[in-house]
Formats: sequence, C-alpha cells, structure tokens
Amino acid sequence: MSLAWRLLKTAVISLWAFRSYAALMMIGLIIGIASLTVIHQIGQGAQQAVSARMTSMGFGADAFYISSGGGRLGVRRGMKRAVTLTPADADAISRLDGVTHVVPHKNVARTQVSAGGNNTNTRVRGATPGWAAARNWAVLMGRFVTRTDIGQSARVAVLGTTVVRELFGEADPMGKRIRIGRTPFIVIGVLESKGSSGWRDRDDLILVPLSTATKRLSRDDKISGMRVTMTDASRVGEIKAEVTNVLRENHSLGPGVPDDFLIITPDELMKLLTRQSRSLVAMLTFVSAVSLFVSGVVIMNIMLVAVSERAYEIGVRRAVGARRRDILYQILMESLMVAAAGGVCGLFLGLLLSYLATWLLAIPTAFSPTGFLWALGFSAGVGLLFGVAPAKKAAGLNPVEALR
Amino acid sequence: MIQLKGITKTYYRGKVETPVLLGIDLHVREGEFLAIMGPSGSGKSTLLHILGLLDRPTGGSYRLDGIEVSSLSDDELARLRNDKLGFVFQAFHLLPKSTALDNVLLPFTYAGHFPADAQEQARRALGRVGLEHRLHHRPGEMSGGECQRVAIARALVNDPEVIFADEPTGNLDQRSSLEIISILQGLHAEGRTIVLVTHDTAVGCMCRRLLRVVYGKVVSDEPVADPTVALQQLQTLKEAAK
Ligand SMILES: Nc1ncnc2c1ncn2[C@@H]1O[C@H](COP(=O)(O)OP(=O)(O)OP(=O)(O)O)[C@@H](O)[C@H]1O
Ligand SMILES: [Mg+2]
Repeated sequence: MSLAWRLLKTAVISLWAFRSYAALMMIGLIIGIASLTVIHQIGQGAQQAVSARMTSMGFGADAFYISSGGGRLGVRRGMKRAVTLTPADADAISRLDGVTHVVPHKNVARTQVSAGGNNTNTRVRGATPGWAAARNWAVLMGRFVTRTDIGQSARVAVLGTTVVRELFGEADPMGKRIRIGRTPFIVIGVLESKGSSGWRDRDDLILVPLSTATKRLSRDDKISGMRVTMTDASRVGEIKAEVTNVLRENHSLGPGVPDDFLIITPDELMKLLTRQSRSLVAMLTFVSAVSLFVSGVVIMNIMLVAVSERAYEIGVRRAVGARRRDILYQILMESLMVAAAGGVCGLFLGLLLSYLATWLLAIPTAFSPTGFLWALGFSAGVGLLFGVAPAKKAAGLNPVEALR
Repeated sequence: MIQLKGITKTYYRGKVETPVLLGIDLHVREGEFLAIMGPSGSGKSTLLHILGLLDRPTGGSYRLDGIEVSSLSDDELARLRNDKLGFVFQAFHLLPKSTALDNVLLPFTYAGHFPADAQEQARRALGRVGLEHRLHHRPGEMSGGECQRVAIARALVNDPEVIFADEPTGNLDQRSSLEIISILQGLHAEGRTIVLVTHDTAVGCMCRRLLRVVYGKVVSDEPVADPTVALQQLQTLKEAAK
C-alpha cells in the first residue's frame, strides 16, 4: 500500500464523512457542467447541420452564388433588396473562361395560388433546367422545366409536396390546371420532399420556367440570383474577380460606387454560418462559465465551513507530523476530487439531456471528445481554484488551537 | 535529551497580555518518567505543547537532543514531531471516521517515506496495548479506555524518543486509568522517555519524577520515592470486584 494510495484513501474517507457537504458542493458544478455539455453538443450539432445543408444545396467547393443587391454577407440587408441582375448578366458570365454552368433563378413575391376550390399562399420561383441538378433536387413525378418551356415562356409549374397537399390533398395533381395569381398554369411535375430546414418549409414552393416568371408573373425581367459552377475549385477567386468586373461594367457602376450584387463563395458562407453558431456557443459558454464560477464560490464557502468543523482533525494530523503543505495538498486534493466527480456527473447528465433534446425536440446535437476534456478540465480547474482559500485556511491553523 | 532554560510564554490577544510561563528550567534525561502537576491554569498544557513542538515559546532556550528548536522552521518541527515525538491527549484525538488500524497508520502518512511493513508495525503497536482484536473498529465503536490505548499505539508506532501525554487518564474511570498507566509504566520499563501531565496525585505517584508547576513557575522537582505499580493496583481492583 503506497503513500499515494493512502492519500487518496484519506481523501475518499473524509469526502465520505462529509458526503452531504460534498453533494451540496457538487450540485452547482453538475448543473454548470451539464449545461456546458449540452451547449457544446448543440453547437457541434448545428455546425454539422450547416455543412449538411450546404451539401444539400449543392454548394460544392467549385461553385459560388451571386445575389442581387449590395451589402455584405452576414449583415442584414434591406428587406426590399434591389433586384439588379439580368438574364444578360447570366449570359455574359456563362461565356467567361472556366465557367461551366450558370443557373439563374427569380424569386416572385409570395403569391395566392388556387386549384379547383382550394387556395394557398406560396413562394413562386422561376428556374432553368439546371436548377434541380444544382440543388440535388429530384423530381418525384412528371418532369422538370425544359429548354422548350423556357423558349415558349410556357405556363407550366412544378409543385413542392406541401403545395400539392394544400391544393389537391390526396388527388393526383399531374396535368391539372392551377392559377398563380390570375395566370393559369398546367402542373407538369412534383418535386421530391426535402422537409423543413429550421423554420422554413422547403417544400412550400412552386417552380415555373424562368422566362415565364420574368415575363408573365412580374413586371421586370430581372433575376434574383444565380449559381455559377467552375471547371475547378482552385479558380474560384480568379473567376470571382472577373465576374465582379463584368457585372460592374454591365451595371455601369463608376469607381467608388459599391457593388449592387453580392458574390457568396462556399468558404465565406461556411465561415459565416459557423461564426454565427460559434458566437452563440461562446455566449452560452460565458453564461455557464458564470454559473461555474458561482458554483466555485459555493464550493469555496462550504469548504471553508467544513475546514472549521474539521479543525480538530487537522490539529491531530499536524500533531503527528503533517506539515502545513501536507494539509494544503490534502484539502486541495479533496476539492479537486469533489469537483472532478461533479464534472463527470455533470458531463453524463449533459450527454443525457442532449440525447433527450435530439430525441424529443429534434435539435441536432453531436458528441465531441474535446467537449469531454473541456468539462473535465473546467471542473478540475474550478476545484483547484476555489480549493485554494479553504486549503490555505486549513494549512494556516495553529495545531494547539485546532486541538482545543 | 530535553533541556529547557528560562522558557517563557505569553499569549497576546489584542492588547491583552497573558503571561502563562514565567521562566521554566527543566532537564529531562533519556529513560525518565516525568509527571507534571499543578493547579488548573498553571500552564501545564502550555508547557507540554512547547515541549512537544506544537507551540513555540515566547522566550528562553529549548534544546532537544542538542538541537536548539527555536531555530527550526515549521516544517522541520513537523518532521521532528513525526520522527521523535509521540502524543497522547486527554480527549484521545483519534480520527472518528478511521479504523483503529488507520488511526495508528496516520503518522506513517507524514513520515519521509512510507515503510513497506507499515501495516505490520501498526498491528504490532496495537498488540502492544492489547488491542489486536480491535483493528477494524472505529473510535465510536470502542470504549474510552480502548480509544486511549489506540492513541498510545499511534504515539508508539513511529518508535519515538519521547512520549508526551496531557492528562491521558482525565476522561477515564479508575480501572481504565490504571490500564493506561500500566501500559505507560511498561513502556518506561522498556526504556522509553515519558512526560505526562496530570491532576491526579495517584497518577503522579506512579511516575518516577514529579514536577510541580504553579502560575508558570516550577515550585518543586523531586523523584517519587516509591512509585505505585499500576498493574498491582489493577489486580487489587479486579479482586475487589469479584
Ligand atoms: N490561546 C490562548 N490565549 C490566551 N490565553 C490562553 C491561551 N491558551 C491558554 N491560555 C491561558 O493560559 C493559562 C494556562 O493554560 P493551560 O492550558 O496551560 O493550563 P493548564 O495548567 O493545562 O490547566 P488545566 O489543568 O485546566 O488543563 C490559562 O489561564 C489559560 O486561560
Ligand atoms: Mg491542561
């Protein structure tokens, strides 16, 4: 039986003797570490969801997106964003060297749509044949918009499943007539369901040919945005610069006039999204750090009380030869052990809670081993830090007075 | 072994000064069995704490084995307590949550190195005080006399040069007191040095030398003419009980 073992045993015995105190000390820490764990798991889950979402949007590394209207990524732009891009812009960009596809689209304002006696209000979007492939979005029934549809500005529509449900219920929508606003359309296809992404139902939309949207459904022939695909990812920077020149020239923007469009590269988008979730995580981390600090103060005060109650024990130890620092280490060891135990309990509670969050509330969470280490390190740190004052008090006791 | 010259102790509490020891000279040789007696508040415990390196004197010189202890650091005093001294207190001062064996092992925890046969030594010390059958009992599960015997085993386990006992029989009945003193007499017979504080004249008469302290001064210091043998008294007591 070695000395280290005896010291550990000593700590366990005194913690067990003072188990109600130890439990009190652990509560705050358990809550703090559990919430830290949950936050971390949610943050981690959000990050994974972001990258999954980007993949599903077809946001590969070899493409970028041009959006109408100026401003900066991540800064809220005007609600009524100027629609500045034109089909001519799309043509010019598609002729650039290294550009393989340009997939423009036009967002029409939410519109009242009806079929038979049923009504719904939905997003209408003008698209080109490349749109579905660019977003990995397959057609469930019928067909997608074709070049011929575009050429004829045909009044044909491809519906999202939510719209189908609203307008037709269980009935077959194919070939049926619907009205978008006042314009009659024929249903030619149904999109596969994508479910909702957060607050937004992705299946609540209608696609029409781009030319139909610009000519028949709105008063301008502008487009909202376009996706540009390149031959290879390494040319993104170079092509972004060229596109900027082309667009500024087309829009006759003089020097000093800010861009009236925004090029969003996958890198920037990813950075923005992770920065947002990271700042959320950072804020919540701060909150739980505060709660950990508070629980540290609680630990300190309980231990200070425990030390006065244990003055006699400390006196005995000093009488049989314990040095001040032996007492100091003993108390530190105890607070470290309580804190680490609290940390481990909190960690498991946190894992359980985030599992429940995923299971019951469908909040994505993901386990991360770094979070595990953080929780342990944090609680051990709290234990050490807030054990110092009680340990110093214990070590400073005069043995004679402690024994009285 | 122990050499005190002009030891004084004054407690300071705020502006209040309490002089307790007013200059104690004392020489204790190896193998002595010394009793310190005196009225309550005369400074016996204070003196014992200074002798036992638990407290420092305000003035005077204390040499232990030729070393002037006032020049030693707190850590060095702790090491000396662990190495050379053993304590027995009136209130036993055992750790209540630890077994007898663990209590006796306590000094080893703070020794420079933890001996491989510590358990064995602790068992032997408990055997020496007749408690081989109480190894795993906690203080709450033992009588006062047994607790005090565990305390003696703890004082003994590091093979100290001096054992200090502050009213070791103060909390015990007559019979347990006799048992404790007879153990101490046995240790003395083996050549150990023992310094004991007591109120009890009967206990004083079982030691070999009697020091009387009144108001912080030594008033008499003489050998005990014919020390009572505790074991005999114990026997008489047992017979009377039958
Ligand atoms: N920390 C202290 N501060 C102030 N005065 C103290 C302190 N410790 C002891 N005293 C005083 O010193 C005097 C001697 O105390 P001490 O405990 O040495 O007496 P004692 O001879 O052991 O008495 P008793 O027989 O009652 O145990 C007492 O008057 C006590 O009040
Ligand atoms: Mg006393």
